[in-house]
Amino acid sequence: MMEVISAGVQASLQGAPHRGSRHLGIPDAGPADPVSMALANRLVGNDLLATCVEISFGGFKARIEAPSTVAVTGASGDIHVSGVAVPLHRSLQLTVGDMLSVDVPRFGARSYLAIASGFAADMAFGSTSTYLPAGFGGHQGRALRAGDTLVAQGLAKLDGVLETPEAFRPVFTHSYTLRACASGETSVLDAISRKALFSERFIAGRQATRMGLALTGPTMKLDSDGMMESAPVFPGTVQCPASGTPIVLLCDAQTTGGYPRIAQIARCDRHLLGQVRPGEAIRLLERTQEHAADALSKKRAFLADWLGDATGELF
Amino acid sequence: MGAMRPRLTPRRIADDVFEIATASPGAAQALSRQLRTEGLAEDVVPGLASVAVRFDPAIAAEIEAWLMEQAEPDEIDTDPGAIIEIGVAYGGDHGPDFESVCQQLGLSGDGLIAMHTERIHTVEMMGFTPGFSYISGLPEGLNIPRLQDPRPRVAAGSVGLSARFTGLYALAGPGGWPLIGHTPEQLFSPERADPFLLEPGVRIRFRSL
Repeated sequence: MMEVISAGVQASLQGAPHRGSRHLGIPDAGPADPVSMALANRLVGNDLLATCVEISFGGFKARIEAPSTVAVTGASGDIHVSGVAVPLHRSLQLTVGDMLSVDVPRFGARSYLAIASGFAADMAFGSTSTYLPAGFGGHQGRALRAGDTLVAQGLAKLDGVLETPEAFRPVFTHSYTLRACASGETSVLDAISRKALFSERFIAGRQATRMGLALTGPTMKLDSDGMMESAPVFPGTVQCPASGTPIVLLCDAQTTGGYPRIAQIARCDRHLLGQVRPGEAIRLLERTQEHAADALSKKRAFLADWLGDATGELF
Repeated sequence: MGAMRPRLTPRRIADDVFEIATASPGAAQALSRQLRTEGLAEDVVPGLASVAVRFDPAIAAEIEAWLMEQAEPDEIDTDPGAIIEIGVAYGGDHGPDFESVCQQLGLSGDGLIAMHTERIHTVEMMGFTPGFSYISGLPEGLNIPRLQDPRPRVAAGSVGLSARFTGLYALAGPGGWPLIGHTPEQLFSPERADPFLLEPGVRIRFRSL
């Protein structure tokens, strides 16, 4: 059990994403970076998608109200227990009165705080994940704020100390190279834009939300008028509104959209979108669908050595 | 026995998505219902002219084979239910594009309201965000363009027009449709036993508030 003293820019409870409800307009939600969340859960003995606190851009503080085993992973920055620096990627044994703080990160955008047994959370449409725009799931359907009490759903204490092996710790920088596939309307791009999309550098726009982020850089030009019937979109879809500034969708992606879908970030690299900060560089590498699928199975197999066989459910 | 229905021709549009083109929004609804009865896919999502099937890329070959065995379903004419009335405050703060849509269509304000309220509309699809509905029923031939750039924030209850559809925004959030008004109806309430006020097939009459 812990009391939130400060929630920072945005913190919310996230667990497994929604599956099978997109036809109702219910988005995936869940962690913006599922790999980092799984690494946190692994350190406290949980299922990979047990409910965690997702902390965006640090600034999170909580006072421990019952003996708890916790771990913090994700964005790289300082964390402290009652003022003493403690490492990321290690399970921490906390006692009543300890103050846990997750500072503003130097690299990456989102941190994950796991507690042994997982945080108790509201269930909506089959998942505990908070979907903020509609106010369901998580903690009363909303972002966390000072004064909220978070409770473990079972035994919050786990003996021993675990550390993520070095090889499995993701390294975040200020630039991201993401594998991507052509998508439904890539063919409406003119030849120069198509080449630029998969070779030039883009800069993440000022708004980096769980719903999406803009890619500023070369302006995309279409050979058509860009009008199309609203069609399904997903996390990872890159849409191109008439302005020519592409938007890449994240975990809270809407379920349908009417702008041309000019690319799809490959599933193997989609988890990295959750760590991109405004102003950072993004480059898309075009891959065939088969190559992207192969890269996914390789990444799953690699992570399985630490996270176990459930990596297929992660991403 | 009826005639053989055409087989599906899925197109892969991502490492984890196949898409199937359909002739109409109703055909997309029927096909997506059919595909959802088998739990192979992660999600089966109808669009207005397509159905997307998201799957685990590890079973891509199995999914493709399964889709190619499927035949297009017959569109079932369901019994149209009661007509739901939706009140709309046209123009003003919540309909910031009311004037520009009037200009585009060459209509007076009263003319646009009359055009919108004198017809029976039909919910074709739910999507975008929870409770958002795509509603057909505007006169033939309309093709209202989306905004150049989506608005970062649209109020819950906003009523927009795009292409030949009316769209109802159940939630506050980003939105790219020109807005002509606002409805006070609760289109989505997660705490209700049935969270959705509308569903595909429901008929609607708009009333000017």
